[in-house]
Amino acid sequence: MFNNKFIFCFAFLLAVFNGAAQDCKLNISGQVIDEGTGLPLSYVNVLIREISNGTNTDDTGSFSFNNICEGEYHLIFSHIGCDSKEFHFDLLEDTFLNVILTHTSTSLEGVVIQGKKDNQNNQPNSSVNRQAIEDNTNQNLAGLLENQEGVHLIKNGSGISKPVVHGLYGNRLTILNNGIAQSGQQWGNDHSPEIDPFSADKIIVLKGANAIEFGSGNLGAVVLVEPKKIGREPHLHGQINYAYETNGRGNSLNARLERYTSLFAWRVNGTLKKYGDRKTASYFLNNTGLEEANLSFQLEKSWDEKVFFDFYASTFNTRLGVLRGSHIGNLTDLDQALNREIPFFTEPTFSYKIEAPKQHVSHHLVKFKTKYYYDESQTFDFVVAGQLNNRKEFDVRRSGREDLPALSLQQYTLNTELKYTKDFADIWKLKIGNQNIITDNTNNPETGILPLIPDYISFKNGIYSSLSRQGSKTDMSVGFRYDFENQNVVSITDEIPREIVRFENVFYNFGGVFTFKYNLSNTQSLTVNSGYAMRNPAVNELYSKGLHQGVSGIEEGDVNLKTETAIKNTLEYKWLPNANFSFNTLVYYQHFNDYIFLNPQDEVRLTIRGAFPLFIYEQTDAAIYGLDLSTQFMLGKSFLALLKYSYIKGEDRKNDLPLVYMPPNSLSGSLTFRSNKAIKLFTKLKLEELEITVNNKLVFEQSNLLPEQDFVAPPPTYHLVGLKFSSNLTLPKYKFRFFTKVENLLNSKYRDYLNRQRYFADETGRSFTMGLNFKF
Amino acid sequence: MSPNATLLHLHFIFAHKLTLNKNIMNKNLVALSLILLTSLLFTNCEKDDPEIPNEEELITSLSYQLSPIGGGDIITLSFQDLDGDGGDSPLITGGILSANQSYVGSLDLMNEAGETPINILLEVVEEAEEHQVFFESNLSTVNITYGDEDANNFPLGVMTTLTTGAPDSGTLTIILRHEPNKSAAGVSEGDITNAGGETDIQVTFPIDVQ
Repeated sequence: MFNNKFIFCFAFLLAVFNGAAQDCKLNISGQVIDEGTGLPLSYVNVLIREISNGTNTDDTGSFSFNNICEGEYHLIFSHIGCDSKEFHFDLLEDTFLNVILTHTSTSLEGVVIQGKKDNQNNQPNSSVNRQAIEDNTNQNLAGLLENQEGVHLIKNGSGISKPVVHGLYGNRLTILNNGIAQSGQQWGNDHSPEIDPFSADKIIVLKGANAIEFGSGNLGAVVLVEPKKIGREPHLHGQINYAYETNGRGNSLNARLERYTSLFAWRVNGTLKKYGDRKTASYFLNNTGLEEANLSFQLEKSWDEKVFFDFYASTFNTRLGVLRGSHIGNLTDLDQALNREIPFFTEPTFSYKIEAPKQHVSHHLVKFKTKYYYDESQTFDFVVAGQLNNRKEFDVRRSGREDLPALSLQQYTLNTELKYTKDFADIWKLKIGNQNIITDNTNNPETGILPLIPDYISFKNGIYSSLSRQGSKTDMSVGFRYDFENQNVVSITDEIPREIVRFENVFYNFGGVFTFKYNLSNTQSLTVNSGYAMRNPAVNELYSKGLHQGVSGIEEGDVNLKTETAIKNTLEYKWLPNANFSFNTLVYYQHFNDYIFLNPQDEVRLTIRGAFPLFIYEQTDAAIYGLDLSTQFMLGKSFLALLKYSYIKGEDRKNDLPLVYMPPNSLSGSLTFRSNKAIKLFTKLKLEELEITVNNKLVFEQSNLLPEQDFVAPPPTYHLVGLKFSSNLTLPKYKFRFFTKVENLLNSKYRDYLNRQRYFADETGRSFTMGLNFKF
Repeated sequence: MSPNATLLHLHFIFAHKLTLNKNIMNKNLVALSLILLTSLLFTNCEKDDPEIPNEEELITSLSYQLSPIGGGDIITLSFQDLDGDGGDSPLITGGILSANQSYVGSLDLMNEAGETPINILLEVVEEAEEHQVFFESNLSTVNITYGDEDANNFPLGVMTTLTTGAPDSGTLTIILRHEPNKSAAGVSEGDITNAGGETDIQVTFPIDVQ
C-alpha cells in the first residue's frame, strides 16, 4: 500500500533486467495496457524528453528505444483521451516497462485513479483532467464542468456561474476543495464557487446518491476539486499557462512550480485574470468584466512511510462586474427591461472598468492533514481546516453610497475530521469517520441596509461508516451517516423599533446508501446506487427577508420549515468492448418529501419603490428524474467521435406543477482528428499530438414550464458550434503546447434558460481564445 | 462563539499531534476523538448580538403638497411605510382637488424609521443630474409641468405645477428614477418611456377632482 503514493494517469510497474551497463547501448522497451479493458493500447505516444526521441506503441501496445545512454530521463506518455504524464527514472541497465493506462473514461477526459483503486464506492461519476483545465484557461470552475453529462450551469451573466448536477445546486450540492467542504454563501444563485480551477489536477463530479463521506445533509451530487500529490521529482518542475480571449479582451496567466526534496515536497500555484466587457452577437455587455488573483501553496512531508503530512493554503480574490442594465427597481422596470431589444445603459465602447453593481469576494483556506499508517491494513486520517469567506456586493446607490456594499458578509468555518480505514481479507474495506463543522456567519453593519440573511453560528457533527467489498464479479458497498446540527441565529425584526430576536434550532439527520456493481462480462457492467438522506432547512431558507437585488424580488424565509428527505436511485450501464468504443448510460430518479423551494407568490409586495414580486420558501413533494447518455468511438485511426445527451425533468408532485429552474435537455457531439505522427518542422522542433476538434451543442427549449411560472417564456432552442486546434511543440529540452479555439463560431444570438440575465440581455457572441502552455 | 470552544478544539488538535509524534497511535486516539465529538455536542455557543445597521438611505415617507394658486387649503398626498419593505403595509392618503384649478406642487421625502427623521430630498436635490421625478395620471385633464431644473437645464421635478380640468376621479402616480437618461426623447417633457435607470420611488394615490 505504501508504494501507491503517486497519482499518475498510469499505475506504473517497473521490471528491470538483463545486461550490464554499457555506455549508450541501453534499451528501453515496454508495453502499454488499457486498465479498463485489459487490452494492449496502440498509438500511445512515448517520448524521452532529454533526447527528444519519440515513438508510438504498435498494435500489441509495445514500444522500444535502442542505444540510449545511461542517465536520468523523463518519459512522457500521451494518448488521446488521457493526460500526458511524465515519469522520471534513472537508466542504469536495459529496462522493460509495464505501463497500465487508465483509459476507462467514457468522456474524452481520462479518469485519474489516486493511489490504491478507490473508485468512490462505484458511484457514477465523470471528471475533468488537467489537460482540459489547461485548455480552458478562460473558464471558471463551473464553466469547466459544463461539458460533463448531467451537469449544467446557473449563470448570472458571463462571469458568474455555479454548477447544477442532476437539477440540484446551491445548498444541495457539496463542493469539496482539496477534501474540505467549500463554505461561503452557497445559497445565492448569483454566487460562484470561490475556487481557482488551476489549483486542481482533476475535478470529479460524483452523481450517485448521497456520497456518505462528503459532508452532511447532502441530497445532491458532490464535486471534488483535487490537486494531485507532488510527484517524486528531484528537479524543479513547473508550468506556465497564458491565454487571451477576444471576447472580453481577457488575459489569464497561471504559473506553477513544484519540487520534491528529501526533506519535503512543495508546490506553488498562482493565477491572475483580467477581463473587460463581454460582447453579445451585436452589442457590448457593459460592466461585465472581472479581475481575479489567486495563490495556493502545498507542502507534503512523510516520516518513515508511516506518517504523511499535507499542508495546503490558498487564497482566492475576485472582483466581478454585473451587467449595469440588469440592475433594476420594481416590476414596472422589469417589464420595461423585458420589452427591450438591448438593455438600458448599453454603451458602444469597450471598457475594463468594473463599477456597481459588482461583487468583491475573497476566500481563504488553510488545511492540515495527517495520514497515519498504523499497519499494512489500517490508516487514520486527521484533518483540520479553516476557511474565511468575505463577500461584498455593491449596488447602484444614492449620494456616494456606491462605495458602501449593499451586502457584506463574513464567514469563518472550522472543519475537523477523523477517519479510520481498514482493509481486510483483500476485498473488504471499512471506513469510520467523524466530521465537525463550525460556521460563524456575520453581517457587517456598514451596509446601512437590513441584512438579507441573519447572523448565525452553526455546529455540525457527523459520524459515518461505510463498508465496501470489491470482488471479481461484483462490487458492493453500504454506508450510513448520522448528523447533528445546532443553529444559533440572531435576527433583526422588520417591525420598528428594530429589535434583536434569537432562534435556536437543533436537527438530527440520518442517511444511508447502498451500491451494487455487477460485472456482466469483462467489458460490461451494471451499477445500482440507492440512497436516503435528510437535509435540514438552511439558515437562508428559514430566515431570509428583504430585497434580493440580483433577482429584484423580495425573498422571505419560513421559520416553520421542516427537514426535507430524499431517496435517489441510479442505474448505470457501461460497455467498453475495446479501446476504440465505449457506451455509458445513467438513469436516475430522485424523490423528495418536503422539498424546500422558493415559490413565487400571486400577490405582489407594495413598497415605496413600487410593487415587487414576492417569493416565499415553501415545501412540497417533488421528483427529479432523467437520463445521461454518452458514447465515444474511434473512426479509423485518427478520428474520435463523441456524443452526449442529457434529459431531465422536475415535478412538483403535490401541486401537479413543473419544478422551476430545471435544466433544459441537451445534445452535444464532437469530432476530433488527431495526428498520430509527429510533424518535423526543423531538425529539433516537432509538432506532436496535433488535434482538431469540431463540436456542436444543441440546447432545447425548456418546455416543462407553465406560462405563469415565469415573467417570460423560456428561450427557444439554440445551437452552438465550436472549433479547437491544439498541438504540442517539442524541443529537445522543453515542451510547449498551444491551442486556439473559437466558441460560438456562428456568432449566434441566443439566451439560456438557466442564465438569470436572460431577462435583460443575450448570451456572449463569437469568441476566439489563444493559449500557450509551457512545461519544464 | 465563546473563546472556550476554540481553545478546547485547539487543545484536542494538539493532543492528536502529540499522540502522532510519540508514535503511540492506539485506542487513545479513538477515545480522544470521542471526547472531541461529545465536547462539541455540549459546547454552547451563542452568537453575539448584531449591530443594527443605520438605514440612512431608506425612504419611508413621501408627501406631495399642492397649494392652490390664488389661495385655499393645501392638499397633501402622502405615503408612509415606517418599517420599510417588510412588516406592515404602507399607509396611503389620497386627496380631493378642485376642478379647473392650478396648484403649486412640492415634493417631500423623509426617512422616519429612526429616532431622528432624515430629509432624503436633500440628497436627491444634491444629485439633481442623476434624478428625475415623473408624474403620471390616468385623468387626461390633470397636467403636471416641471418648475425646476438641474445644472444641465434638465428638469428635476421637486417643484411642479399641477392643473386640473373637469370633475372626475382617478389616480396620480409619482415615480422617482435614479440615473435616468435625461436626454432621451420625451424625458424632459416628463415622459418616462425612454428614461431607463432604476426606480427609487413609485407610489400611486387616489385623487378626486370635484
